[in-house]
Amino acid sequence: MPDFSLSPEQESLRDLARKFARTEMAPHAAECDRTARFPEEIYRKAFELGLMNLNVPTEYGGSGLGVLDQCLIVEELAYACGGMTTSIIANCLALEPILLGGTPEQKERFLKPFCADYQFASFALTEPSGGSDAGALRTRARREGDHYVLDGEKCFITNAPHASLYTVFATVDPALRHKGVTAFVVPRTTEGVTPGKDEEKMGHRASSTGTVRFDGARVPAANRLGGEGDGFSLAMRTLDQTRTPIGSLATGIAQAALDHAAAYALKRHSFGKPIAEHQAIQIKLANMAQSIHAARLLTWHAAWKIDRGERGTLESSIAKCFASDAALHVADEALQTFGGYGYMKEYPVEKLLRDAKLTQIYEGANEIQRSVIARELLRSYE
Amino acid sequence: MEIVVCVKPVPEGETRLRASADGASLDPEAVKFVLAGYDESAVEQALLLKESLPGSKVHAVSLGPAPRTEEVLRAAIALGCDAATWVDSGPAASPDPIDVARALAAALAPLPHDLVLLGKQAGDDEEGLVPAALAEFLGVPDVGHVVDLRWDAGRSRFTFRRAVEAGQETWEAPAPLVVALQQAWNDPRTAKLPAILKSRKVPIARVPPVALVPGVGRSQSVRFELPPPRSGARLVDFQTPEQAAEKLVKLLREEAKVFP
Ligand SMILES: Cc1cc2nc3c(=O)[nH]c(=O)nc-3n(C[C@H](O)[C@H](O)[C@H](O)COP(=O)(O)OP(=O)(O)OC[C@H]3O[C@@H](n4cnc5c(N)ncnc54)[C@H](O)[C@@H]3O)c2cc1C
Repeated sequence: MPDFSLSPEQESLRDLARKFARTEMAPHAAECDRTARFPEEIYRKAFELGLMNLNVPTEYGGSGLGVLDQCLIVEELAYACGGMTTSIIANCLALEPILLGGTPEQKERFLKPFCADYQFASFALTEPSGGSDAGALRTRARREGDHYVLDGEKCFITNAPHASLYTVFATVDPALRHKGVTAFVVPRTTEGVTPGKDEEKMGHRASSTGTVRFDGARVPAANRLGGEGDGFSLAMRTLDQTRTPIGSLATGIAQAALDHAAAYALKRHSFGKPIAEHQAIQIKLANMAQSIHAARLLTWHAAWKIDRGERGTLESSIAKCFASDAALHVADEALQTFGGYGYMKEYPVEKLLRDAKLTQIYEGANEIQRSVIARELLRSYE
Repeated sequence: MEIVVCVKPVPEGETRLRASADGASLDPEAVKFVLAGYDESAVEQALLLKESLPGSKVHAVSLGPAPRTEEVLRAAIALGCDAATWVDSGPAASPDPIDVARALAAALAPLPHDLVLLGKQAGDDEEGLVPAALAEFLGVPDVGHVVDLRWDAGRSRFTFRRAVEAGQETWEAPAPLVVALQQAWNDPRTAKLPAILKSRKVPIARVPPVALVPGVGRSQSVRFELPPPRSGARLVDFQTPEQAAEKLVKLLREEAKVFP
């Protein structure tokens, strides 16, 4: 029998995230959005409370949570600010390749000192010439003795300007396509590693996104995760783990949008009654609630599967794709419910619309999710 | 130092309250109960003392029904308390405060206690009767409205301050002592995620309550009513204090027309 109740432990994790989100993040969300400030004081607090390296086992200094527990936390954080949430959870994405592909010695060497302090890591896959087609990446890794020399550029990398560690996907031979992609752990202090400036973004403005250049960066072969050519599969397995919490991030944004819209609809009057009493607005609110409910349950289901040890590629793609489409639509309807005020920066809903948009693009654009879903689906008919 | 801190589960600030079916009390269904307000300050004070006096232990005690009472005790453990005792009141709603004090005294009498800390009143009914009654049952002196409690090891005395009408009083008293604390003067900490997870595994001692005989108490809640809905008030949304001021000035000028 399925059981949708949360354990008291999960309830208390959610309470912690909710309290942090509402007391520490929410009061600064509008200001950070306006000024594109990267609120280090909030991120440091998130780290201190154990909200940052959620997926890293406790033996390495992380919080040791499963995917469902992560989802519960991420939804609460995103309710207060999508952008801050993106930066808070980016370490999970960056460290997952080490968890999946690292040797015990590498985990000890990289994760322990990393998790002991407040710091950022970045997952560096996307390049200026393309993100979706990861088999076509161009950053080169040439073997020289017991080192690899990295040359190339990554872009749109979350937290790159602030990171002390990068998990970098490079190719030992572009002609090999997927089979040449190899993953490396690269400390920022490595000579030839240059993070670029913050990009100016439409949403998630409290997060930081930038380029990283590698100009003859010498990385010890001992920093390679898995063998040469294992990087593509490692990246895909990583995204299988982290995609579902992005569905929850989208759900949190959508829930915030509905809460704002419903509260406003009860207060705002037109034609002699609250607009919540007009059927057109009720239908909007009802549809928003349905989408959010479905998005949340899809993420919980995908997370549950993954926590049981299944790969969950199909379920996590469905959850991420559905929840992010839902978030954009719900935020749009919330803005519409606010009428002209919704379009004003003074009110919180236009930010939600801008923040929701990203969830359709990153961690695998929704077009790619749909092609994954179709591929998995058709396979079951063959 | 052996410190006992008494806490009470109270409805979370954002919970929407309603009266129970018989109208006598608050309907506990759908209410989220938490460790809050004065009690949070009391736990924080206990932990500050523990941290300043190596070898100290903090024992949290709470009286109430399942599951909320166990939950606030877990919250206290997650914050740093070493042990917890749950005095199970059964499902009885709002027992008489003197009976509560009697039951708490019976539960903590066998525990070592150099210091018993409480919030000066509960965050929900705000009665404030339990600390003094508890001290009486324990046969220990008590003080109220306290902030900044310290232990002066050289003189074997607690020192503390009390805010009074015209200023600050500084007091001292020997152990054992019952102390009722002011709210939110010490910026209570937030429990960290690993501590929350660990707190689930700590065993909580459960003792049945003593002498909680319904009807025999000195007082009994007969009716609970929510305040009538307010009208005439208007909430202004804002993100920054500057924006709040700007919006208020605009409303005062253009709608209330208090100044041109
Ligand atoms: C704020 C932000 C943060 C990010 N953080 C990170 C990060 O931390 N690390 C990282 O590595 N990357 C990160 N990214 C990059 C992100 O993952 C990519 O932008 C995304 O994968 C799409 O790649 P692209 O932008 O190159 O688009 P392209 O791959 O060029 O795609 C352009 C369009 O074509 C569609 N398309 C492409 N191929 C197909 C196909 N086969 N079938 C159908 N449609 C297709 C895409 O869906 C998209 O709509 C971030 C991006 C943003 C905006």
